[in-house]
Amino acid sequence: MDTLIIQFLNGLVFSMLLFVMAAGLSLIFGQMNVINLAHGSFYMLGGYVGLSTVRLLDSFWLALMIAPLAVGALGVAIEYLLLRRLYGTHRHLDQVLFTFGLALIAADLIRWNWGAYVVSVPAPPLLQGQVPFFGIQFPLYRLSLIGFGLIIAMLLWIFIERTRIGAIVRAGVSDARMVSGLGINIQLVFAGVFALGTALAALAGVIGAPVHSLYPGLDFEILILTLVVVVVGGLGTLKGAFFGSLVIGMADTFGKAFLPEFALFIIFAVMAMVLLLRPSGLFGLKAS
Amino acid sequence: MTTNKVSGVTRRELLKLSGAAATAYAAGPLLSACGGAAAGPVKAGVLLPYSGIYAVLGESITEAMKMYLDEIGNEAGGRKIELITEDTEMTPDVAQQKARKLIEQDEVDLVAGIVSTGVLYGTRDYFDASKKLLICANAGGNKISRDMKTPYIWRASFTNWQPNWPLGSWAYENVAQKVFMSAPDYGAGHNMVDAFANSFQAAGGEILGTQFTPFPAMGDPAPFITEIQGADPPMVFCFYSGGAAVTFVKAYGEFGLSGNIPLVCAGFTVEEDVLPAQGEAALGAQSGLHWALLLDNAVNKKFTAGYKERAGKDANVFAVQGYDTGRVVAELLNAVQGDTSDVNKMIDVMPGISFDSPRGPFQLDAKSQNPTQHIYVRRVEDVGGALHNVVIEDLGAFTDPGDDSLG
Repeated sequence: MDTLIIQFLNGLVFSMLLFVMAAGLSLIFGQMNVINLAHGSFYMLGGYVGLSTVRLLDSFWLALMIAPLAVGALGVAIEYLLLRRLYGTHRHLDQVLFTFGLALIAADLIRWNWGAYVVSVPAPPLLQGQVPFFGIQFPLYRLSLIGFGLIIAMLLWIFIERTRIGAIVRAGVSDARMVSGLGINIQLVFAGVFALGTALAALAGVIGAPVHSLYPGLDFEILILTLVVVVVGGLGTLKGAFFGSLVIGMADTFGKAFLPEFALFIIFAVMAMVLLLRPSGLFGLKAS
Repeated sequence: MTTNKVSGVTRRELLKLSGAAATAYAAGPLLSACGGAAAGPVKAGVLLPYSGIYAVLGESITEAMKMYLDEIGNEAGGRKIELITEDTEMTPDVAQQKARKLIEQDEVDLVAGIVSTGVLYGTRDYFDASKKLLICANAGGNKISRDMKTPYIWRASFTNWQPNWPLGSWAYENVAQKVFMSAPDYGAGHNMVDAFANSFQAAGGEILGTQFTPFPAMGDPAPFITEIQGADPPMVFCFYSGGAAVTFVKAYGEFGLSGNIPLVCAGFTVEEDVLPAQGEAALGAQSGLHWALLLDNAVNKKFTAGYKERAGKDANVFAVQGYDTGRVVAELLNAVQGDTSDVNKMIDVMPGISFDSPRGPFQLDAKSQNPTQHIYVRRVEDVGGALHNVVIEDLGAFTDPGDDSLG
């Protein structure tokens, strides 16, 4: 029984990590109708920038601020110079090709700069150690991930639901042309959302690094997980990203506990089932 | 008589010209096939992963292979040696394409490399059909020395059985009589677990449970660690490599198992390439492998110093295998006196290859087509401020049985 409770906690931790990863992608896909296959690369880049920050400035908290800013800025540059030319539903294939190519280039550049060895990022001293929990020692840092995830979920919710800019973003998800027709600079909104999305991915990368370390190949592992979450939860809504993360996080954790050899299939099986019953995901708005 | 000219050349002249050109074209390869003194360099294809999770292994093997070849002036059997490297991307389809390119397009004389067992199994039929010699620098999949054996694949590395079978009985006598096992769900993972279990149970040990985790992406290891804790074993045996090794061992430490439940593993799990990232979580872990950084013999001391200087990092077991692969190629070329035209001649000299490797005595075994070598038990200890594997026992020389009788 105790083991089940611990597994539930593990599931919660993993779900929160998935949420922070997926929120950015869901926003970008929902708002701009753009498929960003480089999302995992932004995540990994965030992790590596965080690593360098920790190495140079010896502060995990600074890394939490610097990495999203740096990668967000890079996101703005990429959106403005390159991605902007590929908007439009008929251009989905171009977006896929472009962002996938970007991901491949990023992977090589990252490996060139930081090397191919697995590197670990230490958790901040404040969050190291364990907490006794139902007979075992549960890592404090993992517990804190639950807190991180919930705080970020709340902040994002406030931003999207309770601010004017958030309202514009939501309107843009529903009908971008109408928003443009109202005199709002939709291009600026798109750029902003892309920047926010990539910054969120980078933030997730820094938070996740102490848990799984950084190594070549991480980007595509993360991308696949995030895509599954976003597809299950529904595109474009925060609620979708949140509940999609919970469903996939729990399915993955309990799948590993009871059927370890099928664990990889379980999340895809869940995704297939959800798509059969609700094609636009649990809380999706678009039937894209 | 009218002359038929085709753009300024008579038909007769054209015929003569074509005939001469054809002869010259045919003569070239004919001459070099005779293995004359002016035979070009030996072209060795190098097929390794340079991207993805095993990129480090590919790099280590390549660096050490080049180091050995530089030591002998890039020449053996009277010919220069030229390397042509290709990235397998750890995918059997891609690897086969690249192998095809090396063998059919670049016309290499032999191929060296292959890190992943999956890729080795996937390309085995191709090497067998194209009758090209492959000297495997890592992949330990047992089948290649057993039911999937082909005369064209020889190893300078190990079989997955080799470092684990001797460890099983050692662990029973020195650590605990019951064990919980964990490994990734693919060929190598199963091989390692089976080998350890075989000798462990033969000694009287009991297996409390076995856990096979998703490969290659394990994802979050927490559920697996929790399952291990739930089973409450006196000892854990595991095999992981690369990123998964870091993830697993770090989680082992984070959940407080390091130091409480002794970890006995296949050496790759705590090898020098992953130790720095694992940190304290790996302290005290015991493992079995055919080499250790601090192995005390003259060849190893020279090798580790040279590698450190050249690559800027500590050597690892993959580098040793790369180094020895270079040596096997050189010994082979010397034995056939540079004549790479007949693959059967090359195969005939392989069992005779033996030398002193950084890992100790190295002797290619005819039956398993794999080296007979010593297996060492190591323990991760703090050596002058950094974590390294220290040899605590030399279990002696072991040869893969060449069949599935011992797991």
